[in-house]
Order: sequence, then C-alpha cells, then structure tokens
Amino acid sequence: MSSEKLPWIIKYRPKRIAEVVDQEEAKAKFIEWLKRWPNVPKKAALLYGPPGCGKTSLVEAAANEFGYEVLEMNASDFRRRTDIERIAKRAATASSLFGKKRKIILLDEVDGIAGREDSGGLEAILQLIKITPTPIVMTANNPWDQRLKPLRDVSELIQFKRLSKRDVIRVLKMICEKEGLVCEEAALEYIAEKSEGDLRSAINDLQAVGEGYGKVTLTIVRELVKPRDREHDPFETLRNIFSAKYAWQAKMALSQSQLDYDQAKLWLLENIAYQYTDIEDLARAYEALSKADVYLGRIIKTGDWGLLAYAIDLMTAGVSMAAKNNPKDKFRWVKYSFPQRLLMLSKTKDIRAIRDDIAKIVASHLHISTALAKNEVIPLLRVIFTSNPEYAAKLAIGLGLSEKMIEYLAGAYKNEVLRIYRKLREEIRQEAAKAEMAQAIGEAQKKVPTQPVQQPATTTRKSTSSKKKREKEGGATSLLSFVKKK
Amino acid sequence: MSVSEKFAELLWAEKYRPRSLKELVNQEEIVRRLMKFVEEKNMPHLLFAGPPGTGKTTTALALAHDLYGEEWRKYVLELNASDERGIAVIRTKVKEFARSKVPENVPFKIVLLDEADNMTADAQQALRRLMEMYVETTRFILIANYPSKIIEPIQSRCAVFRFTPLKKEDVVGRLKWICEQEKVECHDDALEVIYEISGGDMRKAINILQAAAALGRVTISHVYKVVGLAHPKEVREIIQLALAGKFIEARDKLRNLMVNYGLSGTDILKQMHREIFSADLKLPEDARVELADYIGEIQFRIVEGADDEIQLTALLARMALLGRKIGFTL
Repeated sequence: MSSEKLPWIIKYRPKRIAEVVDQEEAKAKFIEWLKRWPNVPKKAALLYGPPGCGKTSLVEAAANEFGYEVLEMNASDFRRRTDIERIAKRAATASSLFGKKRKIILLDEVDGIAGREDSGGLEAILQLIKITPTPIVMTANNPWDQRLKPLRDVSELIQFKRLSKRDVIRVLKMICEKEGLVCEEAALEYIAEKSEGDLRSAINDLQAVGEGYGKVTLTIVRELVKPRDREHDPFETLRNIFSAKYAWQAKMALSQSQLDYDQAKLWLLENIAYQYTDIEDLARAYEALSKADVYLGRIIKTGDWGLLAYAIDLMTAGVSMAAKNNPKDKFRWVKYSFPQRLLMLSKTKDIRAIRDDIAKIVASHLHISTALAKNEVIPLLRVIFTSNPEYAAKLAIGLGLSEKMIEYLAGAYKNEVLRIYRKLREEIRQEAAKAEMAQAIGEAQKKVPTQPVQQPATTTRKSTSSKKKREKEGGATSLLSFVKKK
Repeated sequence: MSVSEKFAELLWAEKYRPRSLKELVNQEEIVRRLMKFVEEKNMPHLLFAGPPGTGKTTTALALAHDLYGEEWRKYVLELNASDERGIAVIRTKVKEFARSKVPENVPFKIVLLDEADNMTADAQQALRRLMEMYVETTRFILIANYPSKIIEPIQSRCAVFRFTPLKKEDVVGRLKWICEQEKVECHDDALEVIYEISGGDMRKAINILQAAAALGRVTISHVYKVVGLAHPKEVREIIQLALAGKFIEARDKLRNLMVNYGLSGTDILKQMHREIFSADLKLPEDARVELADYIGEIQFRIVEGADDEIQLTALLARMALLGRKIGFTL
C-alpha cells in the first residue's frame, strides 16, 4: 500500500509531541509522568477525554520521541491470569535481553470493559498494573463509571479537552495544502462544526469528500457530511457504502446506520443491481453479499457471533470494492428502492397464510411434512382445480377445504368450483337432515310408541337448525364426518 | 356407491394407502419381521430408512394399526421433524403423550418421528435421551431418507430397516390397480412415464396419476400436461433472461416465483438443474457444466443456512456473467 492510499488519519498522525494539537496541560503532565517512570506513585496513566481529541496520538508521538515501542493491547485480551503474565513477561524480556526499545503497554478504550458482563478483564488489568515492568497507558472516553473506580485509584488521571473548532480547521487546512486539494474555507468550517471537536472524524470526512470529488466545496460537504451522533437513514447508508473509496469507509457507513446488518442485507440485495451497470462488477458485488450471508447463516447454526465481523466486511467493503471495471458507478446517483421482498411479503401475507393452511391439511392427510405438501401436492391440486371443477369440488369437501382455500387453488376458475362446492354441500345438508329426521322419528317412536307425530316434528326442526349452526362453525369436515358415519 | 363418495373425494395417496401389514405387497422381508413384533406385542425402537415413497410411513402406520386395531390413532404420536419447531417442542409433546392412556393389550405406545434426518446432531442427542427416558411406555419409530445422517448412538438403539426403491412393475402395477378401482381409462405407456417422472416414489406417482385422471384419461400427453402445469415454465425463462443479461427482469420473476408460488430456494435450484441440461435451452455443452457447478455451490450455501433470495440472486448475476462470455441471446 503506497502512502497515498493510507487513510489520512494514519498518514497525518503526529510524529512529535509538538504536533499534537492543543492539550498543553495534558502533554506536560503525561511527559513528566513518563520521564520519571518507574519512580512514580502510580504505575499506570489513564488518559481520558472525548473521541478524536488526541489521546492515542499523544501516546504514540511521545513514544516516538522518547524511543519507546508501543505494545497495543485489546481490552478483550485480558481474561486469564496467564494472559497477564505472558504480556508482562513479553514487555520485560524484550527490553532487557535484546537491548531493544523499551515498551509502553497501551490499552485503548478501557471504558469498554466496564459495560461487559464479566469483570474478569478489569481484575486482570489491575493485576497487570501491580507487576508491570513497563509504563501502562490507558485511554477512555468516560472514566467515571462506578465499575472503573479501582482502575482510577491506581492510575494517574490525565484529562484531555474537547478541541476547539479553530484547532480543527487549522489541521484540515494543513492537510488540504499537503494534498493539493482545492478547499473552500466555508466547507472546512462546516466540517469542523459538525465534527464537534472530534478531529479524527473531521479528517475522515475531509478525505471522503476530497478523494471522492477531487475538491471540497460547501455544496458537496453539506450533502455528504452529517453530524456523527445522528444515525444515517437507509438511503444515506447505501450511498456511503457504494461510494466508499476505502474498506474502512464502507464499514463505517454501516456502523453509523439506522439499519442493522440484517436489514442492510436486504437493502443491498435490492439496490446493487441499480448501482452497478457492469455485469462483472454486479456479479462480484452479489458474490460478496452472498458470502456475507453465508457467514450470517453460520452464526445461526453455530451460535458463534465472532463470525459477524466477516459478514459485515463482505457486505460493506466487499460490495463497495466490487466496482473494478466501472469504478465511476460507485458515485452514480441512483434512486434507491425499498426492499421489494418486504413489500411483497406484507402484500401476500393473507394468501400465504391460506397456502400454509392448505399445506397443513394435506400434510396431515398424507402424513408428510408441510414443505413437501407445498412443493409436491399443492401444485397438482392447482392442476385439478383449474381443469376439473366437479372433481375439485368433491376433493375440497373430502379434504375439508374452506372457500378461501378453493379460491386460492382454482384461481380464475374459482366461481365454477365454488358453485359446485356449494351445491354439493347443500345436498349433503339435505341428506343429513333427512337422515336425522328419520333417526329422530325412529327414536321417538321407540321411546313413546303411542305419542302422536307432532312431537318428533318439532324436535327435528330444532336439531336441524343446530346442525346448520355447527356446519357454519366446523365447515366441511364436520359434515363429512357425519356423512362417513352413515 | 356410498353417500360419502357421491359428494366427496380424497387424495388417492390417502385413499389407497394400505391399512394393514398384510396389504403391503413389496418389502416382504421387512413386513415378515414386523409381523413378528405384532405377534409378540413387543418391539425395540425402529429406524426406517430409505428413499421417499418406498412405504416407510405407510409401513409404520400399518404396524400401529395391526398392533392396536381400529383405535390405533389414540396410541400413536405423529411428529414431523421439519414441521416441529425445535427439540423443545418435540420434548413437550412426547412428555405429554407418554403420560396419556396406555393401550390394553400392548405395553407401549408409539412415537412416529418422520424426517428425523432433518434434525441437527444436537437435537438428535436430546432425542436419544428422550428415547431412553420413556422407554418403559413408548417406542420410537424414526423415519429417514438418509440413515447416515442419524447419529451413531441412535442407530445403535434402533432396529434398522432399510427400504429399497420400488421396482417399476410394482409401481406401474399399483397405478393400474388404482385406475381399475376408480374406473379411469389409462394407457400403460403413460403409467411408465409417471414412474420415470416420479423416480420410483410411489406417493408422487399416485399424486400425478390422480391429477392426470382429473383431466379425463391417463394418457402420456395428460401426464406431461400435468407435470408441465405443476412446474411453472418461469424457471426456464429466468435462466434465459439472466443469461441474456436482463438481470433485473430475471430477478423480478424469481421473486414472484418464491413469494407467490411459495417455492423454496432448493426447489428452484433443483428445477434449474433440470433445465440447464434440457435440449430446449440452447447452450454450449461446457456452459451447462459450468452452470451445474454454480448451482451446486449455491445449493451448498443455502444448506449452510444462507438466505434463499440472496443466494439465488447471486446465482443470476453469475449466470449473466457467463451469458456475456458465451454471447447468449434470447
């Protein structure tokens, strides 16, 4: 990777303490502490302040100036006692045995561990601070969490202030000059304003605009740069993913989005086809999305959420970097569309419910799964229902299908099938009534042989109407069970 | 003609399903061994394995019928692994069932678990514990297409019965017999075509037979008409559109097929696989092979748990790329 391809936040990272913007008090305190180490009351320093104000930059610049090597640790590395001992040993031996550079152990964003379920990480860090052979420096946005108190007690607290707008503009201007970018003063002011003192995000914004458009004007900046704390809507998110020049920009686009990865997946599925015109780019992008989706499937299968990172890489950076033949497509203005699948699914919800109900009935009759019923039997039922209405109506009664189900299966022929179906049901009802009457008469005669005929007649009328009610409730199934009994 | 037949029809696969072991014509060896169980009123857990439509479920139901008589449904819990939502649901149902009434002359009830090979290895482990827990009062009959997908500990606890594919004369003979019962005119060559299409799957064959009969007579042209209607032409059109670079049109049709017809990704892939080797699709022969490779890869991804529509869309994009390479036009 040539230096031109580096993210500017890395390219323009301060090499010397003097280059770190502002923070004079913090600088003085930190350097004093570092110079006197290990003769200090506290073996660790906790640098805290808002994001992008220069905490990590100061550690790196100081290390560079004083000949330290920075050993950066992730807070999640701290789990077991053995890990701590391994790290401490590594820091100690490397400096003495080979006479190489001394080390600074840097733990970025320790406030992250405060929110974690297990407090084992915190214990481990405290342990490390007790035995450390080298300076330990931690950074945090908010050190005041109750759970971080033990850490505060053993650390030198060094506060960093939010950078002023003026400071941010100064740095942006310097970068514009070095990059040979044409920049409108008002545009830089706008970026600085929106960054709220976060220099890192301001530089990222400048690069996104500068490299994407070759110039930095207020119009473009207004369009592209949004305040960090606002989540991006789906349209902005897609635009940011597609137009990303760097993988990290594409990834950031998703992390700043209202969309979660599952929704983003569907939005991308819908819109890649509109953004990319070259068929090879298109295939590459969909391949990346397809692989991302495979990772998501594996997460469900294995329960291993560690795989999510790879899914996100592929669906953001993978899609964005796919435009190789026609890179200009990335910046093409496209009217993005809402995922059609979601629309279609909500529109066809009722119909699908009917289909699923038919599948359940067929499955229970044939002792098969509903999936098999849907794929193997329902298509054949549709053939029958659209070609032989008489037979279809009888099947509908035999299977106990509702009128809605008949409509689904018969499509354009539904009126024909329904007409016969209703006629058959009426015939069944009449026959059932006849049979019931005969039965009622028979029973009445058995019970009270001398009773006149009037009494059974009323009974019959009553039971027929209750029968009718049952028909309405139970549909054809109850009818058939009656018929079968006969 | 009885009253019910005057007004109602059933699916023939149900209507002509043998009710008793005695009525089963093929799989003689299996039937002989099962009849012994009925005689002794005792049996171990059973595993019925074999291709679809070879009589596994029918045999299990017939066994239950012969054990318990006409009331057999009371003593059988039927579960389909692909319809039950997870092992927890299965566990609850089995637990409840095990508590219900025990039959009079037989010391156990039967849990019939179909498509058991669709269960994950973990779920099968849980199933194994269930089988042990309730062995006093229940026997399991597991049904699977692929016995190798059933974990060893379960296999070793079951008497395994392997169902072999039905012979052509068995299937054709049965179809012919059904036609006689139904007084439907049928042509022998049409029945053979049904056998070929159904790949020896008796249930599928009977379903096709019934649909063809609904058109009037069972002739070759009716059989093809039924199968053609049941399997929409859209799949071929989708492939052609994709190869011709009309990606968005192809995708819209695909979505329609999935949402409105309710076809799953695997179903569509299977149909695509058939289509790419069809003479009606004009393609260089090596392109067919390349397509088969794509389709196989996509099917693998879906089996891995990926989303149907995303995977099929990616497939269409690949097809479009291949179409351009070979200069495909509509």
